[in-house]
Amino acid sequence: MSSEHNGRRPYLPPFRRDWWLQLRFYRLYMLREATVLPLLFFVGCLIYGLYSLGQGPAQWQLWLDFMAQPWVFVLNLLTLAASLFHAKTFFELFPRVMPLAPPRLMIAGQWLGTVVVAIGLIVLLGGYL
Amino acid sequence: MTQTIVIARYNPELDEKPHQETYQVQSDDNTSVLDALQQVQQQDPSFSFRWSCRMAICGSCGVMVNGVPKLGCQTFLRDYPVGLVITPLSNFAVEKDLIVNMEPFLEHLSAIKPWLINTAEGTQPHVQTPKQLAKYQQFANCINCGLCYSACPQFGLNPEFRGPAALALAHRYNLDSRDQGKAQRMPELNAKNGVWTCTFVGFCSEVCPKKVDPAAAINQGKVESAKDMIVSAFKPTGAR
Repeated sequence: MSSEHNGRRPYLPPFRRDWWLQLRFYRLYMLREATVLPLLFFVGCLIYGLYSLGQGPAQWQLWLDFMAQPWVFVLNLLTLAASLFHAKTFFELFPRVMPLAPPRLMIAGQWLGTVVVAIGLIVLLGGYL
Repeated sequence: MTQTIVIARYNPELDEKPHQETYQVQSDDNTSVLDALQQVQQQDPSFSFRWSCRMAICGSCGVMVNGVPKLGCQTFLRDYPVGLVITPLSNFAVEKDLIVNMEPFLEHLSAIKPWLINTAEGTQPHVQTPKQLAKYQQFANCINCGLCYSACPQFGLNPEFRGPAALALAHRYNLDSRDQGKAQRMPELNAKNGVWTCTFVGFCSEVCPKKVDPAAAINQGKVESAKDMIVSAFKPTGAR
């Protein structure tokens, strides 16, 4: 459709780069997406730990010392908080994608699963068995 | 009482780009944004906006109120004590004042074939049980107001994205027991600008005046698209 002959001159506002700062809803969405960033640090720690385990007791002790540093501890605490926030948003979205049961039941079931798996891993890896 | 509202104005014959103007309107507890816009039009007959039913059925009076897509008839001045800035629906080109060009939206809508595709011959009615109706009913409540497109940053970034309402409607017809057109719609859902462009921001469902939950429909469409891909991988070439 030609705009020149009928007086039309549609104005398309440019899409703002900072669109996600404009509304609280968008900021929460970006926060959800950003939870992957501290998780990257945690995965790095984990790979470093596995590598150290293969290198012998001295390197293993070095890794333990690294992990005990306050800044590493705080960053990993942040990772835990970020993962829990992501889990909360994910668990709430999941019943909408796969409506298999009433949403509240599905959300409760997912949290129950998380707690069971977490306790199981702590018991298994913590040497309580 | 008198309330101040700010409205984006754009006259394509005079203005380089939209600008904002301030108006005084009379309001009480029952004054909707649409009522306020009609008062402004009485003050300035050159002011243009769309409306029709004034009861949230026609989907014509969509505008941005303080940056959030709303139906003018369903939004009340009493909920905005600090004031309102009314602008045209985002992510669409502005034709004049609050009127946007909905053509891209309508093209996306028709691309997914939003009608019953059924090869059965004859004039007998299509029987459907309440249970079969319940499967898609929520997604059938769309009034094509376009608010979800203004809420969707993915559509803002990529206008080729089929978008919330169109993909929700595709899902609605795919779920309909009377329909046989799923095989024709799946290529659109699977395509680059189909369901996989959605990142589940979810604001489309938040602003939907009919609680259609297009974000859920699109993400259920992703499940269907994944199943379609797996099934087609095991089908001999040439088969549908």
